[in-house]
Amino acid sequence: MSRTSSAVILLLLASLGIGVTWLVQYSSAPRIAAEQRRIDSRNLLDLLPSDSYDNQPLEQPLHLDNTALTNSTLLGGYLATKAGQPGAVLLRSQTIGYAGAIDLLIAIDAHGKLLGVKSLKQSETPGLGARIAEWPNAWLQGFTGRSLNEPADNGWALKKDQGQFDQIAGATITSRAVINAIHDALRYFDEHSRQLIGSSPHE
Amino acid sequence: MSKSANLQNSLMLAPLIGATDSLVTALGVWLMFIVVISAFGAGMAALRSRLIPASRLLAGILLAATLTSCAELAAQVWSLQWHQHSGFYAGLIALQCVVLEYTGFFQSAWRERLRLCVLFGALMVGLGLLRELLGDEGVRLATLAPGGFILLGLLIAAWQAWPRPTPSH
Repeated sequence: MSRTSSAVILLLLASLGIGVTWLVQYSSAPRIAAEQRRIDSRNLLDLLPSDSYDNQPLEQPLHLDNTALTNSTLLGGYLATKAGQPGAVLLRSQTIGYAGAIDLLIAIDAHGKLLGVKSLKQSETPGLGARIAEWPNAWLQGFTGRSLNEPADNGWALKKDQGQFDQIAGATITSRAVINAIHDALRYFDEHSRQLIGSSPHE
Repeated sequence: MSKSANLQNSLMLAPLIGATDSLVTALGVWLMFIVVISAFGAGMAALRSRLIPASRLLAGILLAATLTSCAELAAQVWSLQWHQHSGFYAGLIALQCVVLEYTGFFQSAWRERLRLCVLFGALMVGLGLLRELLGDEGVRLATLAPGGFILLGLLIAAWQAWPRPTPSH
């Protein structure tokens, strides 16, 4: 039991520790990544009816241009197809709520109708704005079936702002941010539908 | 109660509040705690006599980090969802190993060691079960950290109020 032998043991222990950890990490990384992809797609795709697509939308990311919108930023987009026909576009949108960024996933069908909206990330006030994260979410379901022209531009706002939509109780800023982000996404889809799905919803 | 026992117990408080919002999380963290602590104890028993006292801490840190990293990776392979839910509390087990080594836990009688592990497990599972049941009943506070503190406080109060012939301390 000397200083030298202790140092040698420590050195051995350190290299053994690093080696074993690296080996375990190396052998488990592919399985963990595959599982992560499965969880991600389950989380993202429950917006779409499961029989409405037959591709792997997350492996078909869309190329988006001019992603800085009026009230929000598009972080990415995915295309869901069935039998080769575009069925829906999923847009990942980020807007600023009351306490920070809110990430939304907005699903729009080929005719420009909203299929659903869900929040992916938020840091709003617990019990108030944070209710946006609840899933299924009655307030967000209220937007399903709406489109850019249904209601018209001035209807895309809270009732408090002379619009058509209710707000989450006690969370005006959060609600307003989400409505504006959804409106932005619908407008973006309308302006870029040819690029996104290869046709125009007005045809 | 000595100062080092205080350190040891307050470190247990983190998973006790943070990782008991559901029964599965609590049970998993406790099982991981038992596995890592046992492997760490065995490893340190073999190393202790071969090291000068000054290098024992470093050896403990290296061993604890290796074991916890491997256990975390194994948990991710086994169930990534559980791992994401348990957050960083599983990683704190490494710190617990080092503190337990420092407080002389591994040199104490096996009865003492067993007592601590069982007590920790009973508290984790009990609190996890209680919070999950209350959460299912619609008491959302129970699933949040403040609710965990309140429930733990109530449990301790009940324990103190329980009539016992010989008080433990």
